[in-house]
Parts: sequence; structure tokens; C-alpha cells
Amino acid sequence: MFFHIVLERNMQLHPRHFGRDLREKLVSKLMKDVEGTCSGRHGFIVAITGIESVGKGLIRDGTGFVTFPVKYQCVVFRPFKGEILEAVVTMVNKMGFFAEAGPVQIFVSNHLIPDDMEFQSGDVPNYTTSDGSVKIQKESEVRLKIIGTRVDATEIFCIGTIKDDFLGVISDPGANA
Amino acid sequence: MSLEEEENAAELKIGDEFLKAKCLMNSEVSLILEHKYEQIQQMSDDPSNQVSQVFEKSLQYVKRFSRYKNPDAVRQVREILSRYQLAEFELCVLGNLCPETVEEAIAMVPSIKNRGRMLDEEAIEKMLNDLSLIKKFE
Repeated sequence: MFFHIVLERNMQLHPRHFGRDLREKLVSKLMKDVEGTCSGRHGFIVAITGIESVGKGLIRDGTGFVTFPVKYQCVVFRPFKGEILEAVVTMVNKMGFFAEAGPVQIFVSNHLIPDDMEFQSGDVPNYTTSDGSVKIQKESEVRLKIIGTRVDATEIFCIGTIKDDFLGVISDPGANA
Repeated sequence: MSLEEEENAAELKIGDEFLKAKCLMNSEVSLILEHKYEQIQQMSDDPSNQVSQVFEKSLQYVKRFSRYKNPDAVRQVREILSRYQLAEFELCVLGNLCPETVEEAIAMVPSIKNRGRMLDEEAIEKMLNDLSLIKKFE
């Protein structure tokens, strides 16, 4: 889910930037530093939308650098266990398939794909029901439920399932072709 | 990691910080990001260099999965849903997935059933009807 939240960060600024456009310097450095990053707690920081406040600067002993506490509003994407969302399939293999929902990757293991769907190898590997009516392949849009998340320093990775009511394929790129 | 263990969006356990935060529907994120992308475009010749991969992927995603494109419709959706004492998170899941039946809505947002609110099936049905009307007249 996307959220609009306020975060705080201590920005260190070199004295050469002190002057009329100190604030602009701070903001552009903030954008460069945090946009596109990811933390386990807040998820992916997609975009900064505004600055709430810039606090009083504090000179660091011995360096001349000044630290400013900056509060900013931003759009973050944070997946939650138990959340249901839509995603685009990016890769299919016999272990299951990978899908993407914005910046986050979700793996759905073949155990969590309904039992009546079989893996078919070939040019376009896919999972298909025995009657051929439903097919999951690259670029399919699926609705899935996140059942686990793994967080490391720079990424959040999710495990999902489509083995539940109202989950599964929403659109199949092959259907129109 | 203990926080991670207890997390469960189906029961609306998403941590205090996010529970109180403003949630955004995909359609809303799409409006925000496109606006920002235009701003960046005006400032530099090669905007694709200026934005992070996270930004780009999010933009593509929300464009693809926005149920409502028209800003007025997006506003209406939020207004209608906010009449039903939903938590922000629930509101946005419903706005994103646009379930068609009461059963589907409850499967998507199990927490709407068990938080002791005045949300009976009839109310949910009415809410879904209102939503589909917006879509129809968009």
C-alpha cells in the first residue's frame, strides 16, 4: 500500500553551501539521498512531496559541517503481510512465478498456485488450468495476497499466494492475442 | 523483528505509525507522481535520468492499476468511502481493488467485518454500488 507520511532526517551540509539558497541545497540533497531508498520500517521512499520544517542547524565539533533536522512529507510504498494487491507477472518457472507491484518483488511458489493449474514449459512458460481457460504467464495481471515479507538493507521481498477466494488472474495478455 | 511477526493487514495490524498515516489509493498516487514527473521534465531535458528506479516502477504500476483516471472521480471515491467509518487502509484497499460483491469485499478486507462497526452487509452493498456508479459515469 502507498502511504503519505512525514519522516525526519538529519542532513549534514558543508559550509560552502551556506548562503541565500541554503534551503534549496538542503532540499535537493535530501531528494538525492532518500528518494528511491528502502527501509524495513517505512518501506520504499517513492517521492518527496513537501518539506514540513527545517530545524536549527548544529555545528559538528571539529568538522564545520552543520546538521539540520529536516521533516519532510513523502509517498512511501510499504507491503504488509495479509495485504491483498494487484501485481504484474515478470517471470514464470517450474518453482512458481515472480510478480511486481511497484518497487516490490513478490514470489508465488507453485504450492501456492491452485492445484488445478499445471506448469507448461516452452517459449512462454506458464501455468494453465486443465481446460485451458485460465493462464498465468509473463505480463499477466494477478491479484495476490502477501503472506510473508523479508527485509534486507536495501530491499523488501515478499512471498505471496493466489490460492484463496477472489485471488488469481485478472487479465491475461494472451487472451487478446 | 517482533513487530514483523505480529503484522497482519487482514486484521488491520499494520503498526500504529501506518494506521494513523494517510493511505493513498493507486489513483491518487498516480496523480501525485505524474504531477511530480511533469515538474522534473520541465526542469531537465532527460527526466528518466533524474528519477529513481523506485519512482519509475511505482509510476508504471499505479498508471496500470488505477481504477479511476479522472481527478474528480478519485476525490469522489474517497469521499464516498469515508462515509463508512473505514480505516484509511481499508478505504484504500477497497478503492484499489473495487470488489463487486459483498462477499468479495469481505475477502479483500476481512477487518471490515470484525471491528464492531455498524457495517452490515446492506451497508457494504450500498457502498459498492456507489463505487461502481462513479466508475460508470467517469
